[in-house]
Amino acid sequence: MKINLKVNGILEEVEIEASTVLLDVLRDKLHLTGAKEGCREGECGACTVLIDGQPVDSCLYSAAAAANTEIETVEGISANGLSAIQKAMVEEGGIQCGFCTPGIVMTLTALLRQNADPTPKDVAAALNGNICRCTGYSRIVSATLKAAKNAMAQKAGDAHA
Amino acid sequence: MDFIYAQKLEEALNALRTQAGRAKVLAGGTDLMIQIARGEKQPQALIFIGQLKDDLAAVSLSQDGHLNIGALVTHRQICADRQVQASYPALATASASVGGWQTQSVGTLAGNICNASPAADTIPPLLVHEAVVTIQSAARGLRDVSLEYFITGRRQIAIENDEMVVGITLAPLPADTADAYLKVGRRKAMEVAIAGLAMRLTMAGPEIVGELRVATCATGPVSRRAREVEALFSGQKLTDELVTQGASLLGRMIQPIDDTRASAQYRKLVIPKLFRGAVLECLAKLGIAISGLEKS
Repeated sequence: MKINLKVNGILEEVEIEASTVLLDVLRDKLHLTGAKEGCREGECGACTVLIDGQPVDSCLYSAAAAANTEIETVEGISANGLSAIQKAMVEEGGIQCGFCTPGIVMTLTALLRQNADPTPKDVAAALNGNICRCTGYSRIVSATLKAAKNAMAQKAGDAHA
Repeated sequence: MDFIYAQKLEEALNALRTQAGRAKVLAGGTDLMIQIARGEKQPQALIFIGQLKDDLAAVSLSQDGHLNIGALVTHRQICADRQVQASYPALATASASVGGWQTQSVGTLAGNICNASPAADTIPPLLVHEAVVTIQSAARGLRDVSLEYFITGRRQIAIENDEMVVGITLAPLPADTADAYLKVGRRKAMEVAIAGLAMRLTMAGPEIVGELRVATCATGPVSRRAREVEALFSGQKLTDELVTQGASLLGRMIQPIDDTRASAQYRKLVIPKLFRGAVLECLAKLGIAISGLEKS
């Protein structure tokens, strides 16, 4: 079957099977390899993308079901250079092997859009579905708080300007 | 395999009738898509209902105080819903512990009960609140069935080929009622329950139980109410001794298995602890302190 997927604002026509999952379309048809295949059963979060602003495991989400939605991948949020959360992850050392990073970046992008001033507990709760085996999470949490703080400072600055 | 986009509820119901058992209804797909990938389920068609949000995606309070949860309501919506938090907090707790944010974004409460996993977190709280499942078909319209009768076995539900679940209804609470959902897992998040227990406690007077309801998950092929335990408490003075007696009977009644997550023996030890914990949590929510009744 042919479907149209709107990925990072661009409408793409792709040929899929009814059982195809979104991750396979992104990686194999659209060559967007930011989303990673980890467990392929919704446990690890390495394949996280946003669908209508919500984090979803693309390894178990039906590609056909994603038609008529807004899909965002890590490539989309960094199209104009690193996003605020990505910069903070680099600065704080929230990355080691990097395999989980795109999924974590997507989850935290959703969090920061919904909650401009998260507590460390909010960040930890948001990352329930993203497994990182290297960092121990604490630098990812501090990166998130830093990105939030920077965004709020910038907003306050803009209001004064 | 065909993929059918239902644009209206009638289209989904008509497609189910036409497919006559060859189709599965798809919402978030957090269970179904994995089962298809593993070859455990091999439907000839998927009927996608995700576009029926106008009909099925609301949590609404009816005039007589019943809370109706549409078939597309996600776990994320349940956790955040003020009415659920106020009246059925055990359900909000259970939905908050189903997988991570990614699963809760698209996974639905209705899907969780239709999957009928023995370890489904949301089933015990729905059982103690005597949730009613509303089912619809093109041929016969609507019918209601108590959740207790809807789940017939491990991953088995009482639904005909041409029917789909359209909603779940919870009745208004009696006065002086509180609930709790307690779960044991190796980590707090993203963990299938090693054992889970929901309780609903209604007090009839100071220290006198009106009604106690209890249901467990991951303790047998099907989540069930433990009516023999419940009967011990009805109209009785709530004492430490009675709680110990109830907890111990519940531990003897459940029939868990050994699996990769825990041994049957461990589950039999932990369920009585959860029972006591749930009594204490319900009492704390009701603002009642009973002397001599303590955490063991």
